[in-house]
Amino acid sequence: MPELLAQQADFAGALRDRERTPAVERWLAGDAALVDRRLAIYRGNMVAAADKALSSAYPVIRQVVGMEFFHGLAREFQRGTPSTSGDLTEFGASFHAFLEAFEHVQAMPWLGDLARLEWAVHRAYGAADAPDWDAAALGTVAPDDQAAIRFQWAPGTALVTSRFPIVRVWTIHQPGYAGEFSVSWECTETALVARRGFVVDVAECAAGDAVFLEASLAGAPLGDAAAAALERHPDFDLAALLGRAVAARLVCGLNP
Amino acid sequence: MSAAEHPLSGTGTGIGLRQPHYREVFERRPELAFLEVHSENFFLEGGASMHALERARAAYPISLHGVGLSLGSADRLADEHLAKLKRLVDRVEPALVSEHLCWGAVGGTHFNDLLPLPHTVQTLELLARRVDHVQSVLKRRILVENLSAYVEFRDSDMTETAFLAELARRTGCGLLLDVNNLYVNAINFGFDPVARLAELDGSAIGEVHLAGHAVVDDCLVDTHGSLVCDPVWALYAETCRRFGPKPTLIEWDTDLPALDVLLSEATRANALASHASEVAHA
Repeated sequence: MPELLAQQADFAGALRDRERTPAVERWLAGDAALVDRRLAIYRGNMVAAADKALSSAYPVIRQVVGMEFFHGLAREFQRGTPSTSGDLTEFGASFHAFLEAFEHVQAMPWLGDLARLEWAVHRAYGAADAPDWDAAALGTVAPDDQAAIRFQWAPGTALVTSRFPIVRVWTIHQPGYAGEFSVSWECTETALVARRGFVVDVAECAAGDAVFLEASLAGAPLGDAAAAALERHPDFDLAALLGRAVAARLVCGLNP
Repeated sequence: MSAAEHPLSGTGTGIGLRQPHYREVFERRPELAFLEVHSENFFLEGGASMHALERARAAYPISLHGVGLSLGSADRLADEHLAKLKRLVDRVEPALVSEHLCWGAVGGTHFNDLLPLPHTVQTLELLARRVDHVQSVLKRRILVENLSAYVEFRDSDMTETAFLAELARRTGCGLLLDVNNLYVNAINFGFDPVARLAELDGSAIGEVHLAGHAVVDDCLVDTHGSLVCDPVWALYAETCRRFGPKPTLIEWDTDLPALDVLLSEATRANALASHASEVAHA
């Protein structure tokens, strides 16, 4: 192994596991005690970077569990899932799976779904700006071709389905929320995440709408998506949903 | 609006543009030579952050300061990271693009930190190849910054400043002289920072950074979270006397204070720079 690579591998090992410090001592100036003290600064930076990145992506979970406990979660998550990119906005994509498996948060079984929701919000925040689109194009589609329409949804649009009231939990933890804080835990919710301009909206999505949107977001033609929604939820109202989606500029094109 | 319409003059001070100050900067439009942002915070496709950067570049020259490219990683340079940087550079047309003399990733794990390198011929050859590659991909000169460090490698056989001077000579890259980092290392490793300035070619220096640090036990830690300290101001004055005024950044990342605190640091840097160059040319 070239020397520089060996030095960096040993350095990395010592940062991730203090027991492995002796391997890097041979490369570094100063005695073992000095090297250990100085490496502690880098170890602190490493956890601080994870905490900062996760705090930015998961502000609601941080509020829910408190900043000290969150710091511990960041440390544990990073131990098992270190960053792989110099772009920290990518860090934390699998935080939901970590939370679902981490024994010390099993009393909050909804944290995983809340993490999925916050990750969708995080991605939507930096998604491409939706192109301008004239909804009049929808009126020019011949009736026989309408069932084959595939909608192009605004970048960042996502659904997160949960057997817990994640939209409610998310909403009451937003800055400036002034309502009451009760949560009825006995309900399931599907969250619709969507960018409106530069703001990311999270709204509860009716069950029939969720079936339709899930299919359409995955690229299904309008006819198939609507049939799936109607089959499971006979009260599904396609015209009303499309009216709202077009008004909110969630639809921004028709794919061939 | 492009860099050509917002050229960066040889003098003047800028500040780091951070999210809590966006609104106030856009409303007050303080007199600043440039604004600097961390490149990686703008690797996004769109949205509010990108819109803020568009507004900033319409009003000020922009400096893109990278913290994640890891030029000195022994195993690989992250092409996907460089591709994102290129997309941002093409989009923003910044006045300056800078990276650090450091490594941050090995074996697929990224520490998202600026880790020190041994200053050897082997490292110099690697860095020269990497800087050549980055400059050819970006189709522009980059600046490479000296690091603050808490450990040193036994096999370093040149100083960091001599290493950077040679890197600039070989690749044509510019240097970002972080005066606080130089001071932090001078204390941590016990050397005379003024003697290190003598190893640099002033014409290669494209930017200067000023920042605060913290004292942790026997070590100065580069936190970018406080006022520039007096010895660093003194070293900055010496830098200006020696090399003339350079575009200078007040860098502040943690415990961000009111915008006015940054502006007052910028005013102090401007005054020091013009006084030092008057003295030098008297």
